Amino acid sequence: MIKLTINGLETRVEKGTTILEAAKLLGFPIPTLCHMEGLTPYGACRLCVVEIGEGPRAKLVTSCTYPVEEGLKVRTASSRVVKARKMIIELLLASSPQSKIIQDIAAEHNVRQQRFKQEHEDCILCGLCVRMCEEQMMAKAIGFRGRGEDRSIGTPFDVKSDVCRLCGGCMYVCPVCQLRCTYNQPEKAICGACANLDPPCLEKEQFDDMMCYMKPCVACEIKKD
Amino acid sequence: MRKLTSVGELTGFRHRILSEKDVQYDKPTLVVSAGTCGQASGANDIIRIIKRYIIERSLQGKISLRITGCHGFCQIEPFILVEPGGHLYPNIDMENTPRVIESALKNSVVNELIFKEKRENKAYHSQNDIPFFKKQTRTILGASEKIDPIRILDYIEQEGYAALEKVLTKLDSDWVIKEVLDSGIRGRGGAGFPTGKKWGFASASGKKNEQKYIICNADEGDPGAYMDRSVLEGNPHAIIEGMIIAGFAIGATRGIMYIRDEYPLAIKHALIAIRQARDLGLLGENILNTGINFDIEIVRGAGAFVCGEETALIKSIEGYMGEPRQRPPYPIEKGIDGHPTCINNVETLANIPVIIDKGSKEFAKVGVPGNTGTKIFSLVGKIKNTGLVEVPLGIKISEVVYDIGGGPVGKAKIKAVQTGGPSGGCIPASMFDLPISYDSLAKAGSIMGSGGMIVMDENTCMVDVARYFMNFLKSESCGKCFTCRKGTQRMYEILDDVTKGKAKLEDLDLLEELALVVKDTTMCGLGQTASNPVLSALKYFRHEFERHIVDKRCDAFVCKELVGAPCQSACPLGTEAWRYVAHIARGEYKEAYRVIREPNPFPSVCARVCDHPCESKCRAGTSGGDPIAIRSLKRFITDRFDPSIYKPKRTKWPDGKPPSVAIIGSGPAGLTAAHFLSLKGCKVTVFEAEAETGGMLTCAIPSYRLSREVIRDEIDALLDDNITVKCNTALGKDITINGLFEDKYKAILLAMGAHKSRPLKLENEDVKGVYPSIEFLKAFNLRGELLAKGRVGVIGGGNSAIDAARMALRQKDVESVTILYRRTRDEMPAFAEEIEAADQEGIEIITLVTPNKIIEKDGHLVGLECIKNELGDTDSSGRRSPVAIKGTEYEIELDTLVVAISEDAGVDSIGPVQKSGIETTKWNTVQIDQKTLLTNRPGVFAAGDLVTGPNTVVQAIAAGKKSAVMIERFLKNEELIQPAKPCLPKVYVEPVPVDTEIQQYSRAETPRAPAEWRKRSFAEAEVSLSVEEAANEARRCLRCDLEFTKKPELEEESLPTGEKTA
Repeated sequence: MIKLTINGLETRVEKGTTILEAAKLLGFPIPTLCHMEGLTPYGACRLCVVEIGEGPRAKLVTSCTYPVEEGLKVRTASSRVVKARKMIIELLLASSPQSKIIQDIAAEHNVRQQRFKQEHEDCILCGLCVRMCEEQMMAKAIGFRGRGEDRSIGTPFDVKSDVCRLCGGCMYVCPVCQLRCTYNQPEKAICGACANLDPPCLEKEQFDDMMCYMKPCVACEIKKD
Repeated sequence: MRKLTSVGELTGFRHRILSEKDVQYDKPTLVVSAGTCGQASGANDIIRIIKRYIIERSLQGKISLRITGCHGFCQIEPFILVEPGGHLYPNIDMENTPRVIESALKNSVVNELIFKEKRENKAYHSQNDIPFFKKQTRTILGASEKIDPIRILDYIEQEGYAALEKVLTKLDSDWVIKEVLDSGIRGRGGAGFPTGKKWGFASASGKKNEQKYIICNADEGDPGAYMDRSVLEGNPHAIIEGMIIAGFAIGATRGIMYIRDEYPLAIKHALIAIRQARDLGLLGENILNTGINFDIEIVRGAGAFVCGEETALIKSIEGYMGEPRQRPPYPIEKGIDGHPTCINNVETLANIPVIIDKGSKEFAKVGVPGNTGTKIFSLVGKIKNTGLVEVPLGIKISEVVYDIGGGPVGKAKIKAVQTGGPSGGCIPASMFDLPISYDSLAKAGSIMGSGGMIVMDENTCMVDVARYFMNFLKSESCGKCFTCRKGTQRMYEILDDVTKGKAKLEDLDLLEELALVVKDTTMCGLGQTASNPVLSALKYFRHEFERHIVDKRCDAFVCKELVGAPCQSACPLGTEAWRYVAHIARGEYKEAYRVIREPNPFPSVCARVCDHPCESKCRAGTSGGDPIAIRSLKRFITDRFDPSIYKPKRTKWPDGKPPSVAIIGSGPAGLTAAHFLSLKGCKVTVFEAEAETGGMLTCAIPSYRLSREVIRDEIDALLDDNITVKCNTALGKDITINGLFEDKYKAILLAMGAHKSRPLKLENEDVKGVYPSIEFLKAFNLRGELLAKGRVGVIGGGNSAIDAARMALRQKDVESVTILYRRTRDEMPAFAEEIEAADQEGIEIITLVTPNKIIEKDGHLVGLECIKNELGDTDSSGRRSPVAIKGTEYEIELDTLVVAISEDAGVDSIGPVQKSGIETTKWNTVQIDQKTLLTNRPGVFAAGDLVTGPNTVVQAIAAGKKSAVMIERFLKNEELIQPAKPCLPKVYVEPVPVDTEIQQYSRAETPRAPAEWRKRSFAEAEVSLSVEEAANEARRCLRCDLEFTKKPELEEESLPTGEKTA
């Protein structure tokens, strides 16, 4: 067992637990976007940052990936954390204002406007779909490509992947593109994944046992047109 | 080569090599550096010539050739270094190579080709005396000079693998780690973690007999840094030896060199070296029969900047996408495939054999406590000597920049250095006393980084630099962390807006806030340091950002959207130089005159005496060639027209009751203001203290530069019935400010100039024969008095000193004229062409002297005691300050002495101003609000030299013009602002068809009368260009304006397509 302090509250957790899990255990809320139980923590969205350490060595780390250490002192809502979190939310809002999840997080943190040039991006590259595909669906159909501003998610060479079973798991976990996925313009659709997939249900005949996670179902929406 | 089977055999092997070498010690050796930089500049050709020469003449036994890696002095590549003796022949070409070989054979030196310092014109016979090398401590780079990187024997001869020998004899890994720890060496990759400590952790990490790795990180990605490449190319065996020792110390049996694929030569040399070491039994299973196994393989990196980060590097080696992961666990716990992995930088590993061989104590003697040893920096940018320099840590930045680097290239001052590449920050020149150490650089907001050191001068825009690095980072960030990926993009966006003049001041706060959050919330070193360039630029150069945003100006003339055509934005008056040059090329002279005259009421004056900032910023000049002779072209046009032909449009004052404005001083500032106010319908009275109008133009500027008729014609042309001139009316004597207000003047402009020369403040300055320069010049210009007699001395280095000297030379009782200046000629503030003209006329210029004592006899000057100066330390202005050399006092005999060190307004002018309650400064200038030109008294404005101290004519005209705008606004009760907007070309002038022969023309020099004739004449020395010369010169123009203007579309084309077809 490892002893640590979160917001002044001492607690003991098992070795290998992350700060996020430990904080949740104690009931301290930490916002997350790229975290999902059942998927490997990734630390992409940085929303779950907490402050650890003291004095000049104090630093911010992502609680979802940082394993607890003996004697660790964690602050989940220090002014430094809040300031950083608000800026991250602003950046998120500036990129993908259409996401309900991001809007909700912004409202929760009292961020009402952002100061950057407004963009309308469909993907924040949180990687949930990539991990979902690999870890839960055992498919590895999609992955990250490129780096920096050119980073994107998609299938290799942008062609439909042979290992994709059209499960729709990627769409199900996406925090940003729900609106778009439920929108009936396939050519404008999703994190690169569904753009290359035929909407799952269209081929339902071939996959009788497959179920669509989307509500309402993309394919059904498209069919209606 | 036979495999060595014991440590003793290695020792014996070295002894044998050394004894063979002793025999042929006297033989001269030609050293040619052929690293990537050398090969690129033609070293391979030189090598081929040398080889052929040696073979053809059968000189094999008499001379030898050594091909090495880079020595560091990239600027002089390709070069030949002749040993022994260390004669260095820089920038050698194929024709001269045989001469060097011949002289080397004869043990002599080719004097024309040997290394020379241009500024001091001093030849250096030995490489070690050259300042660039002298101040360095070349532990690592020095070895590269002695070694052919593809010959292991060379390395062994230079005590190579001696450290390994020592380690393998002792076979005590704890001792190795302790030695490294004691040496105090810190990671040379940039973060500065103590290497010994890292090895200690790595040694303790992992299960017993677990596979461990040692990685040499040669993924050097910083723009402008290339020391790792150079070391790998020049001395790969040192890295291999360092890796074997590291492997032994931590118990690793596998080593990996991660080299970026952009370094083909480094990879080639490393591969060869590994093979040789393996052949000799220094790598592989059971090294030298000691039971130790260690082998090295090379992994080529695909060139992602982020792969220099250790966790990303490991991912890359494993075959995944180079993407950092959360630390802990650190690589020394879980690295390649989960095994303990120790990662060291190339330079760190290159230092290991030195530490082990020489001992930790000896190593720690170099540098300062906490920062021991040497560090290689790549000194690049706006500096005289570029290349790799190796210096002990703790050395001051100024020593690296000025002593080793040789200071700035041209006249532009160095303003900052950027250390650590895109992850580092800039350090302003005012902090150059900072010792270079990991901690001090971090404290200053930068980092050591891998050792890039980019020098920036006044022609570098800090906003643009920050933008450049952010652009690099936004495409090199791995993209995993949202704040790093999006944060760098957003920072770039804001910086880009600033360079385009689109940003607001609030954006700077947002930028800073964002930069701090990016620094805080990203995972790896790339993101955490990505904000440094922005934060440090904001910290030290915020004024530059604000200047871009508020004034829409980029003072470095870099940001295109704010600069437009550099000639136009460099002109204080905004004259469209490109436009009249274009008209001259087209032969449209009248149009050209209109373009010149519209913004400037003194075009003919400026055509003669302007300091032409347009030319110094001309892109034809800044991009390597000669600038367009814009002033000569202006002269060409103005000489063809009488000023009176230009009739500007005059408007009436709105309510029909024009207000009266008093202008005190009829110099360029005062008359310009009068002119532009008159055009707006104001009634202006100009008061002049002297008998003639023109201010400094008539009082001080000699007629051989600017003839009196030109001034008179120009002034006559701009006077009209709205302007009344009252000469012989001085402020304080004949009029007062209160009195003028009582006389119904609504606004007053003070523009009396700076007519009082500053004294030397030496004893006997009041004796006969000593004159302040302005008094001296006025005596002749206004009254025709000849004050100079016999031997004349002039003290000072500015324009008024040169004017006084050349003026004295033309007076009939003068024997000789000498100018005495305390700094060097390069630092003289006078215009270069004036200094040159003085030189040609036979005026002696003595630099580096200070007057000490004025010697008088019977109340008359007889001589001057001077003391010689030498250049001391560099001051905050980047210039080396003159320091008197004790005991070098000497006397010169003089009959006349003119003091021209500086001017100010003097008590006569400034006194009455002060009396009327107007604030002045301690430099005898009037205090104004820079934005509105208003003094602290409402309605009283001030402009020109009275505000700035002695300044150029064009600046005075600009100030006069601005004051006219402000006074008009004041009189109309409007807010006193002039909205800033970038000064961009707006009018399209069709370019003349490109003439293929145009390349042949060089800059048209302004024709000048021969020195012999002009030195006795007061007539104008310069003459106009010919029609042909002017046309050719105008055609050289690069037409920067065309980027901003568009050819007006023809009417048919503007019709919608439907109509056109119909």
